[in-house]
Amino acid sequence: METGISLPEDLSAQIDDILLELRRKAEAECVLLADISGQLVSAQGRLEDIDPVTVAALAAGDVAAMSELVRQIGEPNPHGSFLHEGENKSIYLFSVAGSFLLIVIFGADTPIGLMRLFVRRAAERLYPLTAEFEEVMGQPQDVPLGDFSATLADELDRVFGGL
Amino acid sequence: MFINWKLREINLKIVYYGPALSGKTTNLQYIHAKTNPNIRGELVSLKTRGDRTLYFDFLQLELGQIAGLKPRFNLYTVPGQSYYVGSRRLVLQGADGIVFVADSQRERFQANVEAVKDMAENLRSLGLNPESMPLVLQCNKQDLPNAVQPSVLQRRLGMTKVTCFPSVAIKGTGVFDTLKAIINLVVAQAQKKL
Repeated sequence: METGISLPEDLSAQIDDILLELRRKAEAECVLLADISGQLVSAQGRLEDIDPVTVAALAAGDVAAMSELVRQIGEPNPHGSFLHEGENKSIYLFSVAGSFLLIVIFGADTPIGLMRLFVRRAAERLYPLTAEFEEVMGQPQDVPLGDFSATLADELDRVFGGL
Repeated sequence: MFINWKLREINLKIVYYGPALSGKTTNLQYIHAKTNPNIRGELVSLKTRGDRTLYFDFLQLELGQIAGLKPRFNLYTVPGQSYYVGSRRLVLQGADGIVFVADSQRERFQANVEAVKDMAENLRSLGLNPESMPLVLQCNKQDLPNAVQPSVLQRRLGMTKVTCFPSVAIKGTGVFDTLKAIINLVVAQAQKKL
C-alpha cells in the first residue's frame, strides 16, 4: 500500500454498518476490519477487553504467514480463513479479497457453523466496498492536513523531549 | 499512511530494519520503557525461547489531537536473522517509513551491507521504490571500541543523503531522535505527495 491514503466518511460508515450487522447476527463479541499491512480500518462491538490496534497487527501477521505457508504447499488460492478455538474465547480470521481481513472474536456460546456463514455473507458485501477503498487509495487525494506537519514536529519535541 | 476521517485518525507504519542483533528490538524496548503509559500500548514480541525476534515486535504510540487529527504510530521490527527473509518481507508490507539500524562494529560491516541489499529487494518485490521510501539510518553500538564512525558507515552503505544518527540504543542515546526524524520525514513526504 502506498502512502497518502484516506478512508472517506461515507465508505467508513458503510463498512461500520456491515460489521455491526455481522456482530449482531453472529453473536460475536466484536468484529474488526484491517488491511493486510495490519492497519485497523474499523472495530465494532465490545472492545473493553482487547486492544484493537494490536489485534489487527497480529492478525495481519498471522494471515500473511499462513497464506505464505499455504502457498508453499502449492495451494492455488492462499487467501482463506483461519480459526482458533479457545476455551472461553475464539478468533476467526477471514481474508477479504486478499487485501483486507475480517477478525471476529466470539465466546464459547456462539455456534461456529452459523458464524462462518454470516462472516462469508458479510465478506461478500464488503468486496465492492474494499475495491472502492483500494481505488480511492490509488488516486491522488486532496487531503487537508493543514499545518499538521509543523504542529506534529513541535508535539513530538514536547512529548519525547529529554527522554 | 492511513487516514480514517470518521475517527479523525492518522496512522503511520514504521519498520525498524537491519541485520541480526543490531538493536532493533532494543529501540522499541527503550521507547516502551520511557514513554508515558497513557500514550503507548503493550510491547508485543513474537520471539524465540532464546529471546531472538521470530516474526516481529510491535508497539503503538498515540498522541493527542494535532490540527484536528489524532496521530497513531505503529512501530514494527523485523527479525534480523538471514533465514527469516520471508517474514521480513511480510512485515514491510504497507510500511510508510523505515529506520535502518546498522551495527557499527567493524566486523559487522558485511552484515549491514547484506541487510541493505535484502531491504531493497524486499521493497521492490512489494512494488515499492527503495529510492523514494522515507528512510533514517541509525548507527548503533557507537559506545563499543570497534565501532566505525557514522560518516564512514553512511558512505559505505550508500546512504550519504540519508539522515543519520549515532546511537547507543541500550542506553537510549539517539533512540528518540531517530524516531522523531522518521515520523517527520514520513509526514513531510506524504504532504508533498498530496
